[in-house]
Amino acid sequence: MKSCPTRVVFTWASAIAIALWGAVPPAHGQVKLTFDKRPVIEVGNLLTAGIRFKSQVDFREFPDEPDTPSKPLLDLHRTRIGVEGRVIKEFEYQIEAELADSSEPWRDVYIQTRSFRLLQVRAGQFKIPFSLEQLTSGMDLDFNYRSLAAAFLAPGRDVGVMMFGRAINEAFRYQVGAFRRGGDNVRESERTDAQADRTYAARLVVRPGNAFDNLFRTFSAGVAFTTGVLPAGPNGVRGHTVPGDAFFQHLYVDGHRRRIGGEFQWRPGPVQLQGEYIEVRDQRFGQGIDNEDLPNAYARGWYASGTWLLTGEQKRDSVEPARPLLRGGIGAIEIGVRRERLAAWSPGANDGSFSSPRAPWVMPIADDVWTGGVNWYWNDYVKLQANVIHERRTGNGGVMAGQGDLWSETFRVQLGF
Amino acid sequence: MASRTALVTILLAATCLLGGVHLRAQAHLDSLLDGNSLEDLWIHVNARDWEDLHTHFQENTYYPADVEWRGIRVRNAAIRVRGVASRNGHKPSFRIDFNRYVTGQTFFGLDALTLDSSWQDPSMITNRLSMLIFRRMGIAAPRVAHVRLFAGAGRDYVGVYAATEEVTESFLRARFGEDTGYLYEFNHLKDDNWGFQDPGPRLGWYVPRFSPKTHEFESVANLYMPIRDLVQRINEAPPSDLESRLGGYLDLNGVITMLAIQNFTAQSDGLVGGVGLNNFYLYRFVGKNLSVLIPWDQGNSFGSFESGFNPPPWWNMDTNVLASKIWNEPKYRARYLAALLQVADLVSGDALLLTEAQRDYQQIREAVYADAFSPYPLAQFERAHATIQQFIHTRPAEVRQFVASLTQ
Repeated sequence: MKSCPTRVVFTWASAIAIALWGAVPPAHGQVKLTFDKRPVIEVGNLLTAGIRFKSQVDFREFPDEPDTPSKPLLDLHRTRIGVEGRVIKEFEYQIEAELADSSEPWRDVYIQTRSFRLLQVRAGQFKIPFSLEQLTSGMDLDFNYRSLAAAFLAPGRDVGVMMFGRAINEAFRYQVGAFRRGGDNVRESERTDAQADRTYAARLVVRPGNAFDNLFRTFSAGVAFTTGVLPAGPNGVRGHTVPGDAFFQHLYVDGHRRRIGGEFQWRPGPVQLQGEYIEVRDQRFGQGIDNEDLPNAYARGWYASGTWLLTGEQKRDSVEPARPLLRGGIGAIEIGVRRERLAAWSPGANDGSFSSPRAPWVMPIADDVWTGGVNWYWNDYVKLQANVIHERRTGNGGVMAGQGDLWSETFRVQLGF
Repeated sequence: MASRTALVTILLAATCLLGGVHLRAQAHLDSLLDGNSLEDLWIHVNARDWEDLHTHFQENTYYPADVEWRGIRVRNAAIRVRGVASRNGHKPSFRIDFNRYVTGQTFFGLDALTLDSSWQDPSMITNRLSMLIFRRMGIAAPRVAHVRLFAGAGRDYVGVYAATEEVTESFLRARFGEDTGYLYEFNHLKDDNWGFQDPGPRLGWYVPRFSPKTHEFESVANLYMPIRDLVQRINEAPPSDLESRLGGYLDLNGVITMLAIQNFTAQSDGLVGGVGLNNFYLYRFVGKNLSVLIPWDQGNSFGSFESGFNPPPWWNMDTNVLASKIWNEPKYRARYLAALLQVADLVSGDALLLTEAQRDYQQIREAVYADAFSPYPLAQFERAHATIQQFIHTRPAEVRQFVASLTQ
């Protein structure tokens, strides 16, 4: 019988929780319900369980493009419910499910140690440590959508084990993990292909000014790396446009996939500057029409963004308005702009085979995107986001027909705690 | 003035050049599909994909392939297994799509080519002979010719196939001079037995039965309201007034001719086959309500005769709403019988069909004997050909006799 990774994780997590429940008697035995930012149940020193809810409703207007299905105006982008907390004092856990996804509802399902910050261990299903923006919660994004690079070139979630920690007054943070497959940002076929092998990932982030109280205290920079075995087949890295249509050809690959990434973030007061660079290399051994080896296929993405909280709050992962709406204030208002690019190519010369998924030479294509946005944080729970997005897609150096000037408008209503 | 002359000269030269290229491509294509010779076709395909095509033959997954013919290699094509009842993993039929990966790419003018393994036809020639009759009778029908198929980097011989031009935009351009109308492939659903009966107003009923091959992304209303209107008209039209009620909506004479050809050739899986409508495309002309039917896959003609199936030439006319109205109205019945006689004259005149059948047999015999993937014993191949030739000998006289018995 084929085992479901999330089911295995859930079973193990449940077993551990039951074992702990039996082994450690509650200190006082009382059950307490509190509500600070979210409902939290506390069972003595044994267990805490904070209920999480995330909802995002999008209104989108995408350009009409020939040969692509039309997109609905309304999109229930995210409806998640979860629970997080700690078990005795030594463990933290998180369980989250997407209610709109009946086939694979589980998102983060993991347990981790918490007492020794230099070396912690996490096990279960969670995001492979790669890409600052991919690792940022969907509720804390500065724009409606993640950058194309973070959305499609980062690996996403998988089942695995990770060691992580921080050292020297949090000047260094690291994550090193081994994962069962290649993450859920790969194609469906790869997710279920028995040939898929482990993916290894590592990420190191440095905050050189962390010990000092100056303007550069919040500056951080990092590098990340993944490597894993690719199952033979049409499992090349995927790339979509902003409206969600396929942009990269699904190339046939066989060999290893390697990712490298670089990132920086700086938050001087209400301003944030952030950027990333991601490159993915897929090997294509024996994937030619006549079974010959093909040159590696590459995908590359980067973005640079800047945001400014006009109402003056300190920029953090989760913005908390100093004067919430209907409590004597207008909430927090933030403006932002992002420039990004997603590209794919292979080395070599055009031999006339550029359009086949077994083509030796992959025609270089790129999607250049500008996004401008306004975020209005009513309070700790409600956020409205409006974005205007401009796309310009090129192939082999020239603008693709009808794709040089594409405008999208998106508006999001977000509620969460 | 001089610059204008130069411009005109350049334009003329360009026109001649483009025209020349088109004519050369057409000449090339003719020599592949006219059936005068047994051509060799080489599918360059990755070994793993070739294996997958056979292992996962029930799927419609496309795999990249190059197609080589007479030393000319067309790259970036896509190949998948095709067929419904004849689908198999031993000697699958294929569809080759030339513009799946490269927009606008053609194979000497063809958007797509079908390679039929003739899985249900031991003679391998019934579809080609039927299509020949359709075309000679003025019905737009695909051309069919046999090829020896080679596959893989090692150029392995994988058997005799019937290469058929598919009903796509390039077919429409060549036959109707336009390709921007609405083209649908009819899908016969299991146990459906549908013969133009009115299924009611729900457009969703038509969706699984008529697959759009052009305008695929248009709304269900745009795609299917005209078909629903056509079906309702067929049902509501009194038999005596069929022509005027369907005028501008359906090429009625074309349908009558198709029915006559299919019943002449004892086609058991066509418009009035035993399982309801099957094996046709419907094309609605651009900017008009007028539709025509285009025959497809006539592999069950002639061969049915081998099993003793020798239906009268008005077989099953009562199982189909439109055919029934044609048959029951004297003036349309007369047209139908006249079309039957016309087919009989065509088949027997100058021994056209017999000559074609004998030539096809001689052309493919050696290649079939060398075909390790042929699903039929060689004796059955020989017997099927003998039966078809016998059918061609006797059928015209039988049909004339049937018609005479009705009109006396």
